[in-house]
Amino acid sequence: MPSTSPTAVAAETTLHRSRRRRRFWEHAARKAIPYALIAPVVIVVALVVGYPLYWLGKLSTQKYGLFELIQHHGTSVGLANFRSVLHDQVFWHTLLRTIVFTAANVGLTLVLGMLIALLLVRLSGPVRILLTSGLVLVWAMPVVVAVQVFYWMTNFENGVVNYVLTQLHLGDYYQHDWYGSPLSQLTLVTLLIVWGALPFVVITLYAGLAQVPQDLLEAADVDGARPWRAFWDITFPILRPIVLILASLSIIWDFGVFTQPYLLIGQSKITPGNYLMSIYLFEEGYFKSDFGRGAAISILMLVIVAALSVVYVRKMIKIGTAQ
Amino acid sequence: MKRRTIVALGLTVVLAAALAAATSSATKKATAGSITVWLQTDAQSGWPDVVAAANQKFQADHPGTNVNIQYQSWGDHLQKLDATLAGGGGPDVVEMGNTEMTKYMAAGAFAALDKSQFDNSANWLGGLAASGRFGGKVYGVPYYAGSRVVTYRKDLFKAAGINKLPATTAQYAADAKRLLAKNPKKGFSPVYIAGTDWYVAMGFVFDYGGGIATQVSGTWKGLLSSRQSIAGLTAYKNFFNAASRASKTTDETHPNPYTVYAQGLVGSMVGPSWFTCCVGKKYTASTGQFVMPGHLKGQAMPGFLGGSDLAVPVTSSNKALAADWIKDFTSTSSEKALQAKGNIPNATNLLGNSINERAAQRSWFVPTAKHWVDVENGNILRNMLQQILTGKLSVQQAAQSASDNIASVLNQS
Repeated sequence: MPSTSPTAVAAETTLHRSRRRRRFWEHAARKAIPYALIAPVVIVVALVVGYPLYWLGKLSTQKYGLFELIQHHGTSVGLANFRSVLHDQVFWHTLLRTIVFTAANVGLTLVLGMLIALLLVRLSGPVRILLTSGLVLVWAMPVVVAVQVFYWMTNFENGVVNYVLTQLHLGDYYQHDWYGSPLSQLTLVTLLIVWGALPFVVITLYAGLAQVPQDLLEAADVDGARPWRAFWDITFPILRPIVLILASLSIIWDFGVFTQPYLLIGQSKITPGNYLMSIYLFEEGYFKSDFGRGAAISILMLVIVAALSVVYVRKMIKIGTAQ
Repeated sequence: MKRRTIVALGLTVVLAAALAAATSSATKKATAGSITVWLQTDAQSGWPDVVAAANQKFQADHPGTNVNIQYQSWGDHLQKLDATLAGGGGPDVVEMGNTEMTKYMAAGAFAALDKSQFDNSANWLGGLAASGRFGGKVYGVPYYAGSRVVTYRKDLFKAAGINKLPATTAQYAADAKRLLAKNPKKGFSPVYIAGTDWYVAMGFVFDYGGGIATQVSGTWKGLLSSRQSIAGLTAYKNFFNAASRASKTTDETHPNPYTVYAQGLVGSMVGPSWFTCCVGKKYTASTGQFVMPGHLKGQAMPGFLGGSDLAVPVTSSNKALAADWIKDFTSTSSEKALQAKGNIPNATNLLGNSINERAAQRSWFVPTAKHWVDVENGNILRNMLQQILTGKLSVQQAAQSASDNIASVLNQS
């Protein structure tokens, strides 16, 4: 068409405009995609974590006892709950005990886990399958059942542990009381926890060991490196990210562990002399029906766990960026 | 670097929070045509037939209404109750220990009941009725009481040449020695007492004129460090060492004394009179009971007068039905059936002359303080007994520390 009619111009502008508009929307959509993709996670986290956290925070600044529980609202007391917890000697003793307990549990879990994983690599097929199935069975056992089995094994009257130790002539363990002191109680709890945590750690580390290039190890061997040296210089650096993740997860689990110590030691033997943090929280918050103070303790626990594992998580992220 | 730290912090908080989030068990909501009743497992093992009879009667009066009995254990039933008070979906009737009532009544957890609705309410046992009253209103209906007696093996006593039942604690200890000589089997207890069974231990304390705590012009004062209490605790320690091979650190339900008894490892045991329920078929015929003697001739050792009340939580949506069920469960016939099982019925006009009822004549009770239940749950007495028996602390030291501890708990606002 030689001359452009007004309609054509109009049509062209509309076309332009619509094209521009489309480009704008395309651009916007492209920009929005990441947000849209992350939105479900953000919403779920906000609902599952944020909402309870908000209430936990609110509860920690309130006087909230049995009376308030029934009335369904508390009275605000500011930071009084936190002050009262931080001035409680029991809190500091419990914190120290829990840190030592966590260190022992995490350390034992990782060292034993690593040793068993290394053993798995060297084992013949059938034996490996046998050991792995054993580990999976441990993993599959519900905690409460495991506690009961441990309790029976270490029973004062008829425990198989006392029986076997006596039969092996390792001393007279007849009616030996394994629950006689806090140290002995917490040692049993440690055994139970490490036993239960090993399968996950071993299987994860074993999977990680598959990533270690065999030729590197062979080369090291040829160069005369001792196994210990080869482990530290080749195997461990490759496994490090996995170890870090396992360590931080274990710290979080063991610091806040409740079921095993509470059930194995037994309610009637729980005293401030063997409190772990979660039990302290339970006794103060629930047994004494002081829910505000309980909330304050759990917030403090949250901060402590965060502080304890921040080092590991930082390293994890560092490794992530380096790669 | 800084950003990395922040990210790391954020990540750990999220991780930790995810793990800190407690799991809550969903409780089943009672439908309109049913009521939920929480009873302690004592009823489950001791008198399920009495429960069934009450249910039958209730259902005859309320056709189509289901009764959902859920058995609870003493150790954690209060935590469960707290959870349902906050979240709903709880029981319509709940069994409470008489030492647990005050705290809950003070907090307004229970609905007031019309006393006249229940059988024999004019003659309710004084101590039990008092535990269910607060501010002039009735919140708890007495269910049953129990004192503590000695359950023993008549055959073993006879074989050891014990022809007369002991009249004093010293005689009982001497008899324990004879039983031990006749039964050299490892682990045999002439008198099985769990080390931290404070119900037995406090009996010694009260027998020597001591006590747990007393209120002086509005303030609680610990009594365990008094001269008399120390004498009682020392007597307990000596008696335990002479007579019991139970663990010094265990309580009276781990294991249940009657379980050890049923294994043939017990000459006698101190506990509720219904212990006869579970002594094992083999020993039922040779089992007898007597009142635990005190240190002075002719005086029984004061026994703990335990008991239970039945209450209706304010959160119940079927309060009238709940009260009706309580009426059926505490009816004269029901109480008589409970009596036949060795319990003390809830009213004076029903009292008989059973061993349990005779033992109840000299009894003791815990301080009636709002925070007493915190002393129980905090295991202050158990911890003291463990320290005394294992020799970790002297009687004096352990009693002093427990006494101070109890006073500070009871005096909380």
